[in-house]
Amino acid sequence: MTSSFLGYCRQIITDVGTAQRESLVSLTCLEVQELENIFALLLMGSFIGLPAPPTFLSVELLPFMEREMRILHQRAEDSHDMLAELLGTLGID
Amino acid sequence: MRIIFFTGKGGVGKSTIAAAAAWQLARQHRVLIVSLDPAHNLGDIFNVTLNSRRKRFSANLYLQEVDLRQMARAYLEKETRVLSDTYNYLKALNLDHYFSVLKYSPGIEEYALLTSIEKAIREDTDFDYLLFDTPPTGLTLRFLALPQVTATWIERLTAIRRQILEKRYTIMKIRRPLKDGEERKEIRLSYNEKDDDILNRLLVLQENYGKLTAVLQGSTCGIVLVFNPDLLSLRESERLIEGLGDLKLPLRLLVQNKVTEENRAIADQVAVALQKASGHKGPTRYIALNQDIALKGATLYNITEDLRSDLEF
Repeated sequence: MTSSFLGYCRQIITDVGTAQRESLVSLTCLEVQELENIFALLLMGSFIGLPAPPTFLSVELLPFMEREMRILHQRAEDSHDMLAELLGTLGID
Repeated sequence: MRIIFFTGKGGVGKSTIAAAAAWQLARQHRVLIVSLDPAHNLGDIFNVTLNSRRKRFSANLYLQEVDLRQMARAYLEKETRVLSDTYNYLKALNLDHYFSVLKYSPGIEEYALLTSIEKAIREDTDFDYLLFDTPPTGLTLRFLALPQVTATWIERLTAIRRQILEKRYTIMKIRRPLKDGEERKEIRLSYNEKDDDILNRLLVLQENYGKLTAVLQGSTCGIVLVFNPDLLSLRESERLIEGLGDLKLPLRLLVQNKVTEENRAIADQVAVALQKASGHKGPTRYIALNQDIALKGATLYNITEDLRSDLEF
């Protein structure tokens, strides 16, 4: 009885800790995602008319860029509703 | 090993001068002459048929013509293969071959040029002299600038990539590392510099280009500028000198080709103007116009003027 109660309390504390951590990193996560977006944009900016790096540099890195390209695509899709994006980021309902 | 590039406007006689220099240097040194000009005429000058294989012309002289198209194709095929492997699932839909359109990317030819130079410098270390007959001015300046342009890009991209990894590391630290045997539902992204494919690739490229730039700007490399006694050649040579100065590439020798008795006065003027523009201290070599040029069996590479003493730096 006592041990299960203690276990229950421990679980609550652990979960609260995890939640705290998650809320702490959420902004950093977003920052990383934006950085990856910028990285992809710099490498493949010629799609939208940005000055491009030497072609072969893009070609050389292209095979490893799947994740970045997905993010780039997602950002392009979300960009029509920037306000909602911003409010979501700041946690305003 | 000494590396020499022969540059100049189209038609001034770069290939002939390069061939003559190679022939003279080969009396005492082991020489490899590589033609990078897509309009190859190295084979014509030596009166032999060259394909992209290397050919031994005399005991110490080797000739090679680089097939840029083929090099560009080989490079892109390699990249396309990696790409197709990554997007393996497209094979199920038979869409993977669409990547082959990459071979029409602009800028690939300069890259192929640079790669062939880099390969020659890296692999052919048993030669005393490596002579490159370059394509006309525009392309030459573009590919010589490429290592530095690329280095700047790589540097910036590496910095961003490092920042991404640093932030990923922070996130991992706050979220606490996984215990043994524990599995997490979300995808774990690499945060260690050693595990990141993109950063590793960037670092390899950075090292290669750093080395190449150091070799091109170093004391073992030299540029020979070939020109004719006429205004157009003078103007283009001035632009070339300016471009080389921006890239910090060392100009070793000025060669004025096709000088005759009649154009001697103009030749002197052009030589003075170019010497002033380049700040070149050494002499300008005059090569007389070869009247036998139209004769069959003329040995174009065998000229009487001495180029060897100027190139043994």
